[in-house]
Amino acid sequence: MNPYKLNRRRFLSGAVASAGADICAPWSLRNALANASVNSDNDRILVVLELSGGNDGLNTVVPYADDAYYRQRPTIGIRPERLIKIDDHFGFNPGVVGFERLWKNGELAIVHGCGYENPSFSHFTSMAYWHTGAPNSGNDYGWVGRLADSMSPEPQLNYIINIDTTQSLAVRSAVHNPVVFDEPDRFQRKGLQPALALLDHVGTSSSSNATQAYLNDVATSAREASSLVRNAWSAYKSPVDYGIAPLQLPKIAACISAGMPTKLYYVAFRNNSFDTHVQQGPLHERLLTYAADAVHGFIRDLERLGLADRVVVMAFSEFGRRVPENTSLGTDHGAANVMFVAGKNVNGGHYGELPSLTELDEGDNLNYTTDFRRVYASAIDGWLRQRHAAKVLNGEFETFPIFS
Amino acid sequence: MISSPRALEEKMALFWHGHFATNEDKVRDYRKMLKQLNLFQSAGLGHFRSLMVGVAQDPAMLTFLDAGVNIKGAPNENFAREIMELFTMGVGNYSEQDIREAARAFTGWNYAGLEFKVNVDQHDAQEKEFLGHKGNFDGVEIIDIILDHPATPEFLATKIYRFFVREDIDAELQSKLGRVLKGSNYNVAAFLETIFLSRDFYAQESVATRIKSPVELLVSTYRKLGLKQIPGAPDFNMQTEALGQRLMHPPTVAGWAQGRSWITPGLLLERGNFALDVMFSDLSFIPLDRYPQYAGGAETLTVDARIRAGLDITSATKPSQTEGGDMMAMSNTMADRDEAFNTRFASYRGWQMAIEKVKPIDRSIAALDLTKMVMDARLATPDAVVNYFAERFLALPLDEVTHAQLAKFLHNELGTDNVPAAETYLEDPLRALLHIILSRPEYQLG
Repeated sequence: MNPYKLNRRRFLSGAVASAGADICAPWSLRNALANASVNSDNDRILVVLELSGGNDGLNTVVPYADDAYYRQRPTIGIRPERLIKIDDHFGFNPGVVGFERLWKNGELAIVHGCGYENPSFSHFTSMAYWHTGAPNSGNDYGWVGRLADSMSPEPQLNYIINIDTTQSLAVRSAVHNPVVFDEPDRFQRKGLQPALALLDHVGTSSSSNATQAYLNDVATSAREASSLVRNAWSAYKSPVDYGIAPLQLPKIAACISAGMPTKLYYVAFRNNSFDTHVQQGPLHERLLTYAADAVHGFIRDLERLGLADRVVVMAFSEFGRRVPENTSLGTDHGAANVMFVAGKNVNGGHYGELPSLTELDEGDNLNYTTDFRRVYASAIDGWLRQRHAAKVLNGEFETFPIFS
Repeated sequence: MISSPRALEEKMALFWHGHFATNEDKVRDYRKMLKQLNLFQSAGLGHFRSLMVGVAQDPAMLTFLDAGVNIKGAPNENFAREIMELFTMGVGNYSEQDIREAARAFTGWNYAGLEFKVNVDQHDAQEKEFLGHKGNFDGVEIIDIILDHPATPEFLATKIYRFFVREDIDAELQSKLGRVLKGSNYNVAAFLETIFLSRDFYAQESVATRIKSPVELLVSTYRKLGLKQIPGAPDFNMQTEALGQRLMHPPTVAGWAQGRSWITPGLLLERGNFALDVMFSDLSFIPLDRYPQYAGGAETLTVDARIRAGLDITSATKPSQTEGGDMMAMSNTMADRDEAFNTRFASYRGWQMAIEKVKPIDRSIAALDLTKMVMDARLATPDAVVNYFAERFLALPLDEVTHAQLAKFLHNELGTDNVPAAETYLEDPLRALLHIILSRPEYQLG
């Protein structure tokens, strides 16, 4: 860790408590102090990675020392000799060499048994619960969007970036217009020179048409973000290998490295990729390799850029999979699952408890041991230092000491 | 969709394609996809029961939702879950037990070639208990029980209404629509007729509050321009995919999320750029069926160049992004490790073999004649031209400021307010003007 940063942070946390420090603080610190009142007094960034489709957590972090695992999964259970063992109980799927590298560096937190009461087995319903952080109910806005609203109650340009073809419910915000794009090179208004100014002009909408007002907001956001993003991407070149499917993470590295003011980034695997009902072994392993390669590459790339202290990645899936294998060499929709948090400032290790593989619910699913919102709360309060988790998540959730 | 005299049939087929979302990437047989599309076109406006049974027995759907592995003693729940959650009732109206029981009723349903077939020895003919009914049900009887459930007509009617009319719809209207659909015995055409003749359809909150889907955007643009066939450039599938709706490739089994999710900052710009490509053809357009372009494609081109330069296969297929000598990611190491299963070389050879077989697509561009359009309409001033375009292309009137700016733009481009006098050089300024209008947020509303 950069000692200057550590000192600065310590100094700041002390300074906030004593107003007198203001007098002797150099200009940049005074500036930081002024911002402290809205709780955005740090330059920390959160990246959320969605493993859509229901990642099979039991075949990702395998409890190989538990015989029940092999009894429940006689054919698709991964034999101990194929696993990348990380301790005397758990081994990684052989595909996640990228995670192993992070784990060895103490940069990967594994949170076990994440789920919620009365789990839904529908991709779309359960994903909506995770997106809104409101299981068994829902919310008009996503948890990332509400987090942004509490971090900055005033609208800010380029505060949330969602790199995808469609906007995720998770980033829907009451205050901010998330920047959503897929290819930076195409995130550009093209037109003939005399027409350009008019193309950028956003008109007024009739007060009664909410859809029109929405479109005008999006047009403004597009106009304000597109050149920043394109410049960031064209200025970025990296020797780091993110693997075959980099999951948009290089684009995030480009935006951060260009100094975009974005605090929250959101990316997802496409098309329910992890929905492995049939012949899951090789497919699941490959998907995990892509995810682990990309996250590992991202952290290394940030390190190269000198930005690794500022960023963590949190990965989740809408549910895990049924404990017993099905008859098609795959697994059906399940419940509790493992989550991952990766980054240079992460205290690597296990958090939470793996649910029992013998005491299952009536549908043969794991009973969750960790409310997933505890991990959200840890990111909000522990990482972003907000003290707003209870407000964002509409309830108190105990945090994990994941972050240093 | 562009030239069919039966436009509603086409539009309804598009609806059902999104509703019974089946992805060609998994089906991997265009004949099955075509057969399913024919079903949507021929049965889409008829009784929903025949359509639902047809889809449940359709080879593409059977493939897509894993019917082949749904057998007696080892049911696979994939289809049983989705028929209730996505195709008929919506989540919350049935239990996990109902899913398991329904899956049993569909066991043994399969296909041979392009025909539906029941493998009798794989079908579970024992008693099932489903949504409170007991019996030795098969799949068709399960569908009948579902159709009798009060949630089904409301779920379907609401979804159809949202597709044709507007997003915002209260609970009272939902149940009313459900009763209308049920009252017609699930006759889709009769249901649509009731909607289209209702006062509600013409009410202010129904007008221009719906965002056009990418496919609707392209089709309606071409129709409004008076084209009789789809231009070959820009490419229809590439363009709709870039905008978020590639036909035959819905993103998930839930189809395409409609409404506001069609628009993001990136996609709004992309829609404007589509309008530019229609008005002024893009000289850098390279048809992808002749040229590997995206992430994997660039790698293929590198391999091609190296092999032609005389490198051996191992050197030629080394991943180019790791040439900096940094730590190699596992996926690249694996792709690289074994020459007998060298995915980069296989992609290169695959492209070569595919190109030999590709039948080139006609790449004619849109045959526009905006000058004729304007002269035929006898428009005398820039103001009249803006009015005419706004009425022809937009569902909402332009605000006064924008209107004035556009008229001024045309005036500046023409150097005169006398439009007929500028006839010889009218085309490009008109196209630039229309590009601006078709790029506006209002144009996304239908």
